[in-house]
Amino acid sequence: MTTPTTGTGTARSAGAGLGVDEALLDLHLTGMTCASCANRIEKKLNKVPGVVATVNYATETATVRAPAGVSFDDLVTVVENTGYGVRLPDTEAVDDPDELGRRWRISAVLSVPVVLTSMVMPLQFVGWQWMAFLLTTIVVTWGAAPFHRSAWVNARHGTTSMDTLVSIGVLAAYLWSSVAVLFTSAGALGMTMQMSWLPKADEAGVHPDLYFESAAVVTTFLLLGRWLEHRAKARSGAALRALLDLAPTTAWVRTPAGDTEIPAAHVKVGDLVVVKPGERIATDGVVVDGESAVDASMLTGESVPVEVGPGDEVAGGTVVQDGLLVLRATRVGADTALARITALVTAAQSGKAPVQRLADRVSAVFVPVVLVIALLTLLGWGLTTGWQQGFTAAVAVLVIACPCALGLATPTALLVGTGRGAGMGILVRGPEVLESTRRVDTVVLDKTGTITTGVMTVLRRRGDDDAILLAGAIESGSSHPVARALTEYAESHGRLPELGSHEAVRGSGVSGRVDQHDVRVGRPEWIGVGTSHHWSTDVAQWRHDGMTVVAVEVDGTLRAVLAIADEVRGSSAAAIAQLRALGIEPVMVTGDATPVAENVAAAVGITDVFADARPEDKVAIVARLQSQGRVVAVIGDGINDAAALAAADLGIAMGSGTDVAIEAADITLLRDDLAAAADAVRLSRATLRTIKQNLAWAFGYNIAAIPLAAAGLLTPIVAGLAMAFSSVSVVANSLRLRRFR
Amino acid sequence: MSTTVWTVQGMTCQHCVTAVTEEVSLIPGVTAVAVELESGQVTVTADSEPTAEAVAAAIDEAGYSLVTA
Repeated sequence: MTTPTTGTGTARSAGAGLGVDEALLDLHLTGMTCASCANRIEKKLNKVPGVVATVNYATETATVRAPAGVSFDDLVTVVENTGYGVRLPDTEAVDDPDELGRRWRISAVLSVPVVLTSMVMPLQFVGWQWMAFLLTTIVVTWGAAPFHRSAWVNARHGTTSMDTLVSIGVLAAYLWSSVAVLFTSAGALGMTMQMSWLPKADEAGVHPDLYFESAAVVTTFLLLGRWLEHRAKARSGAALRALLDLAPTTAWVRTPAGDTEIPAAHVKVGDLVVVKPGERIATDGVVVDGESAVDASMLTGESVPVEVGPGDEVAGGTVVQDGLLVLRATRVGADTALARITALVTAAQSGKAPVQRLADRVSAVFVPVVLVIALLTLLGWGLTTGWQQGFTAAVAVLVIACPCALGLATPTALLVGTGRGAGMGILVRGPEVLESTRRVDTVVLDKTGTITTGVMTVLRRRGDDDAILLAGAIESGSSHPVARALTEYAESHGRLPELGSHEAVRGSGVSGRVDQHDVRVGRPEWIGVGTSHHWSTDVAQWRHDGMTVVAVEVDGTLRAVLAIADEVRGSSAAAIAQLRALGIEPVMVTGDATPVAENVAAAVGITDVFADARPEDKVAIVARLQSQGRVVAVIGDGINDAAALAAADLGIAMGSGTDVAIEAADITLLRDDLAAAADAVRLSRATLRTIKQNLAWAFGYNIAAIPLAAAGLLTPIVAGLAMAFSSVSVVANSLRLRRFR
Repeated sequence: MSTTVWTVQGMTCQHCVTAVTEEVSLIPGVTAVAVELESGQVTVTADSEPTAEAVAAAIDEAGYSLVTA
């Protein structure tokens, strides 16, 4: 945990965009039941002067940017007055992996002597049961506290979860045994417990059975499972921070007194902002002076940089490449395109209700059933034989009902599954997504950087090698992606001649002298490729296919034409066929224009294409598919995909993608290959299947033992064996995932 | 004494009901507020009938919106 600074909040180091004396705080909220609650808290927090707050329903956190005058306690008061609570670090520590780890280790150490003395008779020294009582008391009260607390919270809401089952089972075993030690002959010094398969006849000199080891072991195993799971969980909300970091913190503003650097937050609409080559634009604006290529791929997904000049609009967060621009700010702060995407991601994340865990869903049915069986057992024995026997059997039912393998069923499968994934280049960020119980049946794919490589490459050409070498040389001075593609292509055909004088003609191309030749490279119209030229049909066809066409002229003669485009990954078509084979319908969504989109879609065999899609369109398409009852995976790489990735049932980011996309996604493909996406889907299915099998194993042995318990035939050895067998089965079953391929 | 019925959209749970009740109750003159979650109907009892603007502002404050007839 980070050191708390202001009050008891978790303050982060001042990140990008923070003004002087501003603090960024995370509040852990409690009591929210729907997305409306999140909106309401957000609204109330933002009412506090100077405070900028976003509330994420899914992660139950409020991210608050607060000025110096506002303390953590003030914010807590606001939340509490709204009718919700803020979890303070001391109770929050329950979820802290380090804290869980500590509880687990100490519980494990304390459980070992309890188990040994209980199960191995020769070790039952005089007074052993009192030692077992003491050690188990610590394990059950302190070690299992997270389970009791969670069970209590659930009970207040009238629901049950896995924690309820754990809490009841552990407490039943513990209280029963404690009462036996404290008030019956089981507490007598020198008592030994016989290990027998059948309960001893109820006669003088026989002591009630003790189940201390059961309580201790169940607690320890469940803590282990919980700890493993929490350790694997990644921090959420990082996507939003990554987005906020994209906005530059300062901007150069032109004033009568000269250019001054001011915090980006202070730029007003109408200000003249100067952006130098290589810098990020701070706000949305209109170019007043200067010309440059602007890389807007992170916002639009368009792979080719846009040439802008006076009168053109540019968006904040995009990068000026080779010129100096003077802009008039048109939209600042929350109105910029970048801020709108941030808002989309927030909305997408908070709209998603947390998925109920499989183990909890099973428990929700199992717990009431067990309680009823226990009650019936009590009544059945009580009304016929005697209440004492009825009580003994009812407690036995509760004791056996909580399988300690339950704690391992989910985490071991997730751990082995994510581990196997890592080995296959599939990085699972939120392991719980592998548990997502609904089957993905639709995949929405981004084009640029996902189906294609995202890098411009020469794909077609007409003309001779010498012309290509000259063209490569003249373009070698430029960092424009099209120029780079041409230079790289030329280099693969020979040594580039020395570049002499050259001059860029903005919007058209470049001209200059190379190797005693006058060379011009640029748009076919500029060079003058007429419709009569025999290459003109090629040029028209390539353009129709969405490729960028460049012509090369040497000493006044047209010598070559080249088509440059973002190349389709070699593996994409096969991968899409694989996805189809898995029963997943591919849909392509791209910010690019229709001809490019359809050409690429045809190449990989996709029929559903949405072109010219803005980031909000992508989210809308995902939402529409979901409203049709489809379970949607989104595969993308850009910031423009981030909101769609967050909104998807399963978000998959390409490893070459932007940090924002990776943070917003559930899974990142380290291999830049769509085939990995098919593997990821198969892996998540295999993991889910394993979890289901594990739960069946975990509950299976214990369910089998419930009739024994209800019949009054449960003994510690039966309970112990059921635990041991189910745990071993579950772990072994999870390990099978290692062989997944 | 007057009673008016308004329709609010966006309420999804009991928390929302509490929020709306709380905000509408703060309008000067309002003596009783009854909110029905399912239909979104909010029945406002007041000494003097509150203006539509005042009610809309209160609903907005609670984080929801008024359905204008």
